[in-house]
Amino acid sequence: MSRLNDHFRGAARVLGFVALVLGVGAVFALIEPRFLSHASLNGIARHMAANGLAALGLTFVVIVRKFDLSIAGIAAFAAMSMGALIAAGLPLWAAIMGGLALGAVLGAVSGIAISYFELPDIVTTIAVGSICGGLAFLYTGGRSIFQNFFQSGITDLNDARLLGLGVSLWILLAVYAAAWFVMSRTRTGMAFYATGENPIAAHFSGIATRRFVALAYVLCALCTVLAVLLILAESGNAETNKGANLMMPAYAGVFLGAAVMGGTSVVATFGGILLITMLLDGFALMGVPYYYSDGVVSLILLGGVIAFSDSLREWITGLGLLRPRAARKSENRA
Amino acid sequence: MATPVLTASDVSKRFGPVQALRGVDFHVGPGEVHALLGINGAGKSTFIKILSGIIQKDGGTLTVAGREVHFRTPEDAIRAGIATVQQHPELVADMSGLDNIFLGRETAGRGLFARIDRAGLEARAEALLARFAVPLDLRQEVGQMSAVEREAVAILQALAVDGIRVLILDEPTSTLTEVEREDLFALMNQLKTRGISIIYITHQLEEVFAIADSFSVFRAGTCVARMSVAEARESRVSLAELMLGEAVGDVFPPKAGAPAGEALLELEGLGRPHEFTDITLQARRGEILGIFGLVGSGCDELSKTIFGALPAARGTIRVHGREVALRSPRAALDAGIFLVPGDRRSEGLALSRPALFNVPLANLRRASGGFWALRRGRLRRDAQELTRQVALHPPSLTTPASGFSGGNQQKIVLAKGLYSQADIYIFVEPTVGVDIGARAKIYAQMRALARTAAVVVISSDCDEVHGVADRTVALHKGRLVAPAARGFSRDDLLMAGIMGEVAA
Repeated sequence: MSRLNDHFRGAARVLGFVALVLGVGAVFALIEPRFLSHASLNGIARHMAANGLAALGLTFVVIVRKFDLSIAGIAAFAAMSMGALIAAGLPLWAAIMGGLALGAVLGAVSGIAISYFELPDIVTTIAVGSICGGLAFLYTGGRSIFQNFFQSGITDLNDARLLGLGVSLWILLAVYAAAWFVMSRTRTGMAFYATGENPIAAHFSGIATRRFVALAYVLCALCTVLAVLLILAESGNAETNKGANLMMPAYAGVFLGAAVMGGTSVVATFGGILLITMLLDGFALMGVPYYYSDGVVSLILLGGVIAFSDSLREWITGLGLLRPRAARKSENRA
Repeated sequence: MATPVLTASDVSKRFGPVQALRGVDFHVGPGEVHALLGINGAGKSTFIKILSGIIQKDGGTLTVAGREVHFRTPEDAIRAGIATVQQHPELVADMSGLDNIFLGRETAGRGLFARIDRAGLEARAEALLARFAVPLDLRQEVGQMSAVEREAVAILQALAVDGIRVLILDEPTSTLTEVEREDLFALMNQLKTRGISIIYITHQLEEVFAIADSFSVFRAGTCVARMSVAEARESRVSLAELMLGEAVGDVFPPKAGAPAGEALLELEGLGRPHEFTDITLQARRGEILGIFGLVGSGCDELSKTIFGALPAARGTIRVHGREVALRSPRAALDAGIFLVPGDRRSEGLALSRPALFNVPLANLRRASGGFWALRRGRLRRDAQELTRQVALHPPSLTTPASGFSGGNQQKIVLAKGLYSQADIYIFVEPTVGVDIGARAKIYAQMRALARTAAVVVISSDCDEVHGVADRTVALHKGRLVAPAARGFSRDDLLMAGIMGEVAA
């Protein structure tokens, strides 16, 4: 009975979310008919691939109830490093491996500092991000890297198609499918969630909570590297500002998805990032400058989080019979 | 007798399906020290929360000095002259006693930048100290103070508001040593001579006769008795019997019939500096070992050391006769030890997650059948079976743990323990905040577990330890007090835990 109820509630949330996506799509299509054009939809898919990978990485960190503000810095450093490797004549796969290895090290630095040495997550990741942002200038002093890019085949990641869909979208779907499986169908996923829900109880359940917190940062950095790789593939060169626009959509996608779906999860982030990318591309198509659309997306994020927050719903349904906070707390305890 | 300062009549309170209070009648006279007694879940704390304005009654009336009052917030109660000192007073550790006393009331002025009149504050503090002669240096930081000094600061903080007539003290002695307790009683006697009434909650029954004038006993959400201490002495009533009612014999399951089996857990000379020393104990298959110890006796640390959450500085732990190094809870779980922690909300459960998530957490290997991916169908069947076994109510696998009562949350932890398939179970304060019905079920589960496993119950509730365990020892200030014979009588156990002495 209750199981059926849960399924029903879950289905209702998904349906509500699909309605939201269709609604936003319809509004854009009415204002700007080009929104539904082939080129525009392709663009959304491509941007969603990059945004979605960054958001997925952040999802792991948010599940263990931490923050990562080093995404932009790591993206920039990894972009320039992979660019330098390609320019040096290394094959594409080697450049990607180099980028991923760098990401793993950087993520491990933050992760170990935060979990094993118990440094504050926000300060640590801001510091690591800033250091990476600086290191990105190491190779060329900030000049764009483009040598060997076309010969390396990196642009195929952006242009090539498989069964009618872009390769980047396939990468996104594959990584999401793997992440979904790990997080909701394996004991590793349970351990991640338990670590976030109550680290002490998880520790007392024999779960190596520190290891999972550190691992979340490593996964986040790896996803960030993949995200910026797709951005390099789209633009055909590496610049120090390539990762600058990854962070905000990632946070918006994770938290909007969690708000709509009732909790942070791989599926919720997928939905959230789809919505955010549609909004960003829609605004871009309408000629709204990025800095405005960034603001609008942030507003929508705030609105979504507020609209789906429990305390606010309680507040609205409980108008007139407001009770002090302490009362509610003690009732929970009783 | 003088007119009561505070009366409650026919007060009731319901939390969802639970009727926490029904038809409570209660009164306190001026300058009276009135003890409020009752087992966990009897409704004491709910009643106190109503008196201090933290929650609101559903029905009945409260009057202060003959006038009916309605408390919507704690401020309302304080304005009516009722101040409460919580069990663990929330003081700011790195501020001085003085600053704590006037925290939030430093100035009569309004606004963020209203000037604080230090000289005035000190004068007010002097005046307070003049009224209540406490040997206390208020310039000291609260973090440096002893437990009784902190309690005194909290009491002064409560009394710093003018017109306080009733002071509620929620288990003030639970963290105090014997000497400190005398100091607190001296302070209480002073307050009494100033005409301030004290409602005093305690689990230490001997304190009632030492300090109180009268007492009320709460049981199952209602006040079942009110009498003066003199009357009680004269008629030789048993407070414990009053608190437990007819259920005394029913709560605890019968003791083990068969002799205990082999030793599964052996501690030898186990110690941690300043916490406990030289603990040598055996827990055997087929028996429940009870360890009675007050807060601060080292019980909590001992349990965590056995569970690998704290490193042992000295001594050895043997499991199944083999010496083990328990460096983490993981190692302890692998050795077959499961801890039902004292604070299930912060240490035992992912509260926002359902039973289906919590039950397998301590044995994810079993949940995945040894592989990486979860065996979801089997996991659900196992969880269903275990929650039925512990009589989880309501029997839902998908309701978040936070939606259950304290007793049923404990049953989820128990199901988690059963799922982990340990053979040494350590229960710490297993029935704090658990109602009497669920208590009986949890004790019955312990007894059932003890048939195949070793069970250790560690608690600051003497009756619980004595009632459920086959063999009892006490922990007093980190030292083990073991009986000469097989087990303590209840009174001897109490004595051993509180005084650290074995009765001759």
